[in-house]
Amino acid sequence: MTGNIDHKRLGRLREDQGEIANHIIDEFAAGRLSRRDFIRRATVVGISVPALGSILAACGSSSTSSGTSGSTATATGAPGAVIKAGIVTPTAAINPVTVADQGGLDMLAQTGEYLCLSSQTLQLQPVLATSWTPNGNSDIWTFKIRQGVKFHNGQALTADDVVYTYQLHTNPKGNANALSAFGGVLAPAGVKKVDDFTVAFHLSAPNGNFPYLTSSDNYNMIILPKGYDPTKWESTFVGTGPFKLGSYTPKSGATFTRNASYWGKKALPSQTVFTFYDSQNPSILALTGGTIDVVGQFAVSGAEELLTGNYNIIKLKSAAHRQLSMRCDQGPFTDARVRQAVALTLNRPQIVQALFKGYADVGNDSPFAPVFPSTNTSIPQRTADVAKAKSLLTAAGHAAGFSTQLVTEQFVEIPQYAQIVAQAAQEIGVKINLKVESSSAYYGKATFGNSDWLDATMSLVDYGHRSVPNVFLTAPLVTTNAAKGTGPWNAAHFKNAQYDKLVGQYIAASDVSSQKTIAGQIETLLLDQTPIIFGYFYNYLTATAKNVTGVYPTAIGHLFLYNAAKS
Amino acid sequence: MTDIAGNAAPLEPGGPLGTLGPAGDMVTVATPVTAVPRSAWRLLLRRPTFIIGAVIIVFWVFCAIFGHAIAPYNPLEQQLLFNNTGPSSAHWFGTDTLGRDVLSRVLVGARDILVVTPLATILGTILGTALGLAMGYLGGPFDLVVGRFVEAVLALPAVIIAFLFIVALGPSTTTLIVVIGLIFTPLIARTVRAAVLTERNLDYLSSARLLGERPLRIMFREILPNVMPAILVEFTVRLGYAVFAVATLSFLGFGVQPPTPDWGSDIAADYSGLLAGYWWQVLFPALAIASLVTAVNLITDSIEQVLNS
Repeated sequence: MTGNIDHKRLGRLREDQGEIANHIIDEFAAGRLSRRDFIRRATVVGISVPALGSILAACGSSSTSSGTSGSTATATGAPGAVIKAGIVTPTAAINPVTVADQGGLDMLAQTGEYLCLSSQTLQLQPVLATSWTPNGNSDIWTFKIRQGVKFHNGQALTADDVVYTYQLHTNPKGNANALSAFGGVLAPAGVKKVDDFTVAFHLSAPNGNFPYLTSSDNYNMIILPKGYDPTKWESTFVGTGPFKLGSYTPKSGATFTRNASYWGKKALPSQTVFTFYDSQNPSILALTGGTIDVVGQFAVSGAEELLTGNYNIIKLKSAAHRQLSMRCDQGPFTDARVRQAVALTLNRPQIVQALFKGYADVGNDSPFAPVFPSTNTSIPQRTADVAKAKSLLTAAGHAAGFSTQLVTEQFVEIPQYAQIVAQAAQEIGVKINLKVESSSAYYGKATFGNSDWLDATMSLVDYGHRSVPNVFLTAPLVTTNAAKGTGPWNAAHFKNAQYDKLVGQYIAASDVSSQKTIAGQIETLLLDQTPIIFGYFYNYLTATAKNVTGVYPTAIGHLFLYNAAKS
Repeated sequence: MTDIAGNAAPLEPGGPLGTLGPAGDMVTVATPVTAVPRSAWRLLLRRPTFIIGAVIIVFWVFCAIFGHAIAPYNPLEQQLLFNNTGPSSAHWFGTDTLGRDVLSRVLVGARDILVVTPLATILGTILGTALGLAMGYLGGPFDLVVGRFVEAVLALPAVIIAFLFIVALGPSTTTLIVVIGLIFTPLIARTVRAAVLTERNLDYLSSARLLGERPLRIMFREILPNVMPAILVEFTVRLGYAVFAVATLSFLGFGVQPPTPDWGSDIAADYSGLLAGYWWQVLFPALAIASLVTAVNLITDSIEQVLNS
């Protein structure tokens, strides 16, 4: 913070805010939060955009720059275009409760809407909720629901619909995909209607990041009309969004038309046409051949032609990555020095250049990706150091090296990455034999003892993007305990009480500065232990034809086209 | 002489099934002969197609043995900063996604395919010949039962059977040899059986039986030399198919594991780069496979024609 602070004005503004919000304001005023991080945290705890502007002004910081609004509000193109998009084929029926794949979530969000949107910069923007506030303990969150919203079937949106939707997704006996996020956080009984346009969420434990679970990040959570059977959703796509269903053909595609009675700014395109592709190559050929205008997501490998400057590339920093785990309970990796040595052989900037043409961030062997505001960037980046790796290996009693096996899956750039790792390890005498399997053979039953992913000595697996690092911190790294359900993806068989304690503290922390402090401790601990090598976090890439504007993807996998236009 | 071509044609993998009964076998082995005549070799060496095929095969065998010595670079050495570069004087065939020299990988990549292919074909030929001899000579219920079993196996696409085995046993060179060998066994058995059937009622076999020779001796000492030309041609035909089979399974990820250079798996690893214009990563390994298959077929044709002449 360098601006002059108007303490009088700030004091008045503080009176309107809750305890947690005021803590964040204080952090910002004291200069412990950057302007960008402050805006991000403020949106989470429900400080409204006008209030945010006043606070920034009182703190001597401009309120008019890009941060607060996000790019959804900036529409410049002409209305009426027909936008044709190519996305990955949904793998199952489009049921809001069970959808668990990118194609499916993309379909949900074409007509459905969330309480709030997690923007490309991870700020929360109000959608069907107009505001949200925590209690002092951040275990009760109260959401104000937007008035005057109508579902596509004419029904008006009220708190009842929100309560119905959230109880449907949190039912522990149900098959809801969102249970993975709501488990231990929110139970059906905790979803309470306060009045017709207010809903209170009574959490099982304090959670400073709860609003993210109501946002587009928790992609199943589009609001359904009360009593609506989600298994029938595929026939109507009923929602409140700017588009209505035209037609949907499983495995083939879908069309959507502009919703003339939308509550907000009307969509620009008169129609959108989605074509489903099972693999990347045909979708890229369709874009280069002019059949479609947008490719929802593509991997650099095989799509180099799109990077030549003839297409618009939308590049989002993301937390999507690969985890290379080493079994901490199996020789020779029981010794942390051996694990460090392998990690030290990798020349990460070169790997990012070769595999992603630079469209990726270098990883520092912890889940704290550069995209997360809580990532502690003061911890030094691990760089290639073969001499140090050799001396560590010698100190661990493996001066002559050793031979081991790395099991992985045939998926995008992963086999190439595995070969780079194997080649690099050879420099310190470690011979890594590769076994590249189909994804289904590799995952097996995804339980310990029945899965190459979880059982292999070295295992290289894919992880998708998340807006907060919580899942990355817990599932693959916290001590496995079947009874408590912790550490279900701990392929490294990492077991560290100190780590478990720090992660518990991190999740409970509700302000960025304490999150950052704990993150720093976690990052240091993981660099020292190195159960998993996090080599890179790759960017989420969307491509459009040169004449197309206003396409808004998110790193979770959404493709919003309501502001899209053609010139 | 044996109508070998007509015999082999209906037996392609996945091809139409010929009838198995004696009436359906259009094989005419006229008189007992003694194996492959020595003059055949001299005739073969006069055929340019045979010479061309042989030269190509000798070249690849040479690469398989001495590939590492003649390759300009270490085929495993990555130069990440020089990946996806086109053919140049430094890298005649360009570099792949990981900056490895494609020429070196093509040269060294001959090894596994040239080990697996002949061994698998030999295995299939030995097993198929034994089975075919037994079916043809013993006939009766044995022929009937085994014949139906063979038909059942032939009804399944070869790649599906290979998948089943490889998934169950795990991918390795040995698995590949055994699986392809076993898939070829019924195919070769049918050809051999058909050849044996025409021999079975000839006088020299009646004499052998009257002399009290044992069935095993009759099969391997009397019949086998006389059906050898058919087996030889069948072997070379199958060799060509084995090259395809090995390359296909490697392409699908069931063969040699990376980073070991292999034509099929190298094509699989880099074919998505075609869209980006990195044609050299795929073209050269593909040409290598094509040249090997062509060479084997040239030799097959020559042998067939010499034996028919």
